[in-house]
Amino acid sequence: MNTIAIRNLTKRYGDQLAVDDLTLEVEEGSVCGLLGPNGAGKTTAFKSLLGLLRPTSGTLEVLGAPVTPATFESLAFVPERNDLYEWMTVGEQLALARRTYKTFDPKRAAELGALFKLDSRKKIKRLSKGQQSAVALTLAFAFRPRVLVLDEPSSGLDPIFQRVALDLIIDAAASGATVLFSSHQVGQVERAADRVAILKDGKLVLDGNIDTLKGEEKIVEAVFEQNAIAPNGLASDPRVRRIESSGRVLRAFVRSDSAGIVRLLEAHNPKAVSVYDLALEDIFLGAVAGPANAYGEAS
Amino acid sequence: MPAVFSIDPRSGVPLYLQLIEQVKRAVALGTLAAGEQLPTVKALAVDLTVNPNTVARAYRELERDRVIETSPGRGSFVRSDEGNADVRRAVEDVGASVLAGAVREARSLGLERDTVRALFERALERWFAGNDREDT
Repeated sequence: MNTIAIRNLTKRYGDQLAVDDLTLEVEEGSVCGLLGPNGAGKTTAFKSLLGLLRPTSGTLEVLGAPVTPATFESLAFVPERNDLYEWMTVGEQLALARRTYKTFDPKRAAELGALFKLDSRKKIKRLSKGQQSAVALTLAFAFRPRVLVLDEPSSGLDPIFQRVALDLIIDAAASGATVLFSSHQVGQVERAADRVAILKDGKLVLDGNIDTLKGEEKIVEAVFEQNAIAPNGLASDPRVRRIESSGRVLRAFVRSDSAGIVRLLEAHNPKAVSVYDLALEDIFLGAVAGPANAYGEAS
Repeated sequence: MPAVFSIDPRSGVPLYLQLIEQVKRAVALGTLAAGEQLPTVKALAVDLTVNPNTVARAYRELERDRVIETSPGRGSFVRSDEGNADVRRAVEDVGASVLAGAVREARSLGLERDTVRALFERALERWFAGNDREDT
């Protein structure tokens, strides 16, 4: 079952298209990392999913049904800007959550508070942005929700607490929770998620299992005796995202079947052909930068 | 004692493949002994700070390759069949992929087949000194 289902979501603000026909489904137990430049539509997609924004069109479901207040008994949302009660102390905020959520686990909350070194007597408004994020994460994870939607969960956190936040996501996933989180840090997605979705200008430009993408997305580089000339049809080959050539070197950015592309290039008598792996960061940058038609549909 | 695996999430090599290779290597080197228990998926995921589904995928493939076996409720163990041909084959797998990588690199440098063979023979001689040397 897909625990989170965003289907054909479009959100328009006036004449600006914030999210453009986005379909993204996250299956039960999966952790999906959402990457994209600022303004790509990540926050709008989250808010639409959770009923905090009215979509222009589209179908949005969590646990097989549209989101209602009851959904929040099994779903935790950590927004990009925290929605804590600033006049409360950390302890009061936790006590409120304890009364609100049947499944709130005070022991777990105390553990998380200790991990993040939170002082329960401090007023929320006196905390740094990072500490406020830590409170929001403590609240979210302490009631052991089945679904977590986290909008930049580690913003403002120092590297040590960022690792704590990653550990929390991994621990929740290992207990069967489904997680959708956005981040600007590819390394976090690379560790915590099994799946990545990349948004650009409100559109989904790449989506898939991270290990599968890493296994398929390659650079095939051929060095020729003389100036490299791309074989006919290579640039429009469905297995090839784009090609670059400079001097005697030809590089093909391949989306699948690198071995087939190697054979194809070897038929043109290169001096040498090599295959290079792409890290998720390279895959991400390739998806959001470069020529507009390099990834996704051709223009 | 759980074996320590070193993986690099930032590498372009799929994580589950890195993990499979590491487990096979540990079995080959004996740092994971026959019959020894592996960490649970959850424990290893938390330990390495990587996604648990990725670890579970590696374990599934290791089971399919008959390197480990999982019994429900007890955990995953290195197989301890007599003579364990599967573990030996796993060791050969690791060796084969290392050698294939080396040959690929040599070829990508533009070296000819005969040159690569000569270099390989030289390396064999260096690391297997004292064995059969009659064919060189």
